[in-house]
Amino acid sequence: MEKEASQLERDHVHNVYEKIAPYFNDIRYKAWPKVRQFLLDQEPGSLIADIGCGNGKYLHINKKSFTIGSDCCLPLVDLARNHGHEVQICSTLKLPYRDGCFDAILSIAVIHHFSTKERRIRALKEMARTLRVGGRIMIYVWAMEQKRRKFEKQDIFVPWNPEPPSQKASQYKLRKRPQNTFGADCSSSSDISQAYRKTKSTSSVGNEEVHTLYSSFEKSLKIWLFSRSLDSILELGGSSSSATTKRLNPFKNACHLLNDTSRLELFKSNKASQLMEQVSNLFVLRQDSDEDVFSIEEFQNHRQSESTRSHLPKNDLGTKEKSKLPRGETCAKIALPDLVLHPDPLIREANAWNNPDCNMSMCPDPKTGLLRDFEKLLKMESPSHEERVQDKNTKETKSEASLFRYYHVFKEGELQDLIDTYVDELHVIQTYFDHANWCVVAEKIQVWKI
Amino acid sequence: MKLLTHNMLTSHVKGVTKATEVKVTDVDFNSEFVSRMIPKIEWSVLVEAADTLGHLNDLPRDLPPDYESSEDFLRKVHHVLLEVEVLEGNLKCPESGREFPITKGVPNMLLNEDEV
Repeated sequence: MEKEASQLERDHVHNVYEKIAPYFNDIRYKAWPKVRQFLLDQEPGSLIADIGCGNGKYLHINKKSFTIGSDCCLPLVDLARNHGHEVQICSTLKLPYRDGCFDAILSIAVIHHFSTKERRIRALKEMARTLRVGGRIMIYVWAMEQKRRKFEKQDIFVPWNPEPPSQKASQYKLRKRPQNTFGADCSSSSDISQAYRKTKSTSSVGNEEVHTLYSSFEKSLKIWLFSRSLDSILELGGSSSSATTKRLNPFKNACHLLNDTSRLELFKSNKASQLMEQVSNLFVLRQDSDEDVFSIEEFQNHRQSESTRSHLPKNDLGTKEKSKLPRGETCAKIALPDLVLHPDPLIREANAWNNPDCNMSMCPDPKTGLLRDFEKLLKMESPSHEERVQDKNTKETKSEASLFRYYHVFKEGELQDLIDTYVDELHVIQTYFDHANWCVVAEKIQVWKI
Repeated sequence: MKLLTHNMLTSHVKGVTKATEVKVTDVDFNSEFVSRMIPKIEWSVLVEAADTLGHLNDLPRDLPPDYESSEDFLRKVHHVLLEVEVLEGNLKCPESGREFPITKGVPNMLLNEDEV
């Protein structure tokens, strides 16, 4: 189990972050106010560690303290380093720091990437070990209870979808920051490593103005969410990816067939039930400002051009009103939740794909729509030889289809329970919901062992 | 990697610092910051690391009791803690001999599967 868990995290956390790291460079994610305040509350001369620091967005906030960051993702650590931060590459399960050396620790969006309870506890204990008695740790984990996202299970895979539909990332330029080479040709790993090496350190750290530019895109970018139980992967034994492939094959085949003109017939055939079984775990989530995405000027233009399509006739999938919405919202509000609830809307959806008018109101470019994303979603898994041949005949690029991040979303109270039950050294002093995350602030206490 | 960072590492990985490239950068001096930092560091480790890098900067082997009042002393500590950086080199565990590379100022302390 431990081996499988570790492998899963390597495949669906570490490797994904390595691939998507370039997207984090020009995107100065907004420092969440409560996290910022926690850092500023530390007294001058504090030693602070940001465990899982990513590109180092919190390392510059308290300038009267000494803040170091660690992460296991090399490209992200390099980005932080390029901004002049003190960073190390290490595993959160095996921190290279001595006992009790930090006055404060930050753990933002880290614990939810560990795929077993045992490993989540180990990570918490390991951080507690390096905290001094009286020192405080702030922990953020993604919440199961979210207003605009529905999770069927706690162990989920969330695809990374950096490209807005029908456009290439290389077409985009960030407004006000023309000197940057955002997203320039990030399609292969070698390009990626060049991309992040080329990027220069800018003085944009903490530039709130830049942050606000991204919010609109953050709100509208759609992202697909593929939810399955982790246990179901591990039960099947072997590597997680091969097991996943097996389970997905029926769906994959079905999706290839969906490219044919006889989509509707397919849904009515026996395959439909098989398909729905797989689809039942599919969710979409609309991108929120609290997720790690970014805004792109062209996407807004795209949205504007889309809104000019409001002359489209009404149909049973969406009204005129809805067709004016940005695509991400349109898809999320109309097509996708339906997929989860009931098969019928999917059939209607398939029908819509054969109807140009409906198509337009849903997703102007069919190639970037729902089914294509399903295909992408499935092609992440290593295909058999036959399938590989088949893939050659499609225009799909595989490189961008494999970016699934694993999350364990936390239920209310779960994180606190974990700490209360298993981490004696930590005493929870505050717990709250913030930016779709559960947050705990805990203090290290002296534990007297008899 | 600054020597203040090095000071936070476990003895397991701290080991001996072998540096092939060391950079010295100017960092604003703040006497209060340095005074507050000194009790948090392992003094002997700092002295040894600085010595290994050839940047001992006349630091005494033993921490003087009245260090807070000596700006001259605090400046020396400031220099060693924050201004001296190892860009390329190795950290070597004295017991196991395990080496951890420092590349472009970033130490890589990831362990192999069988070492965890």
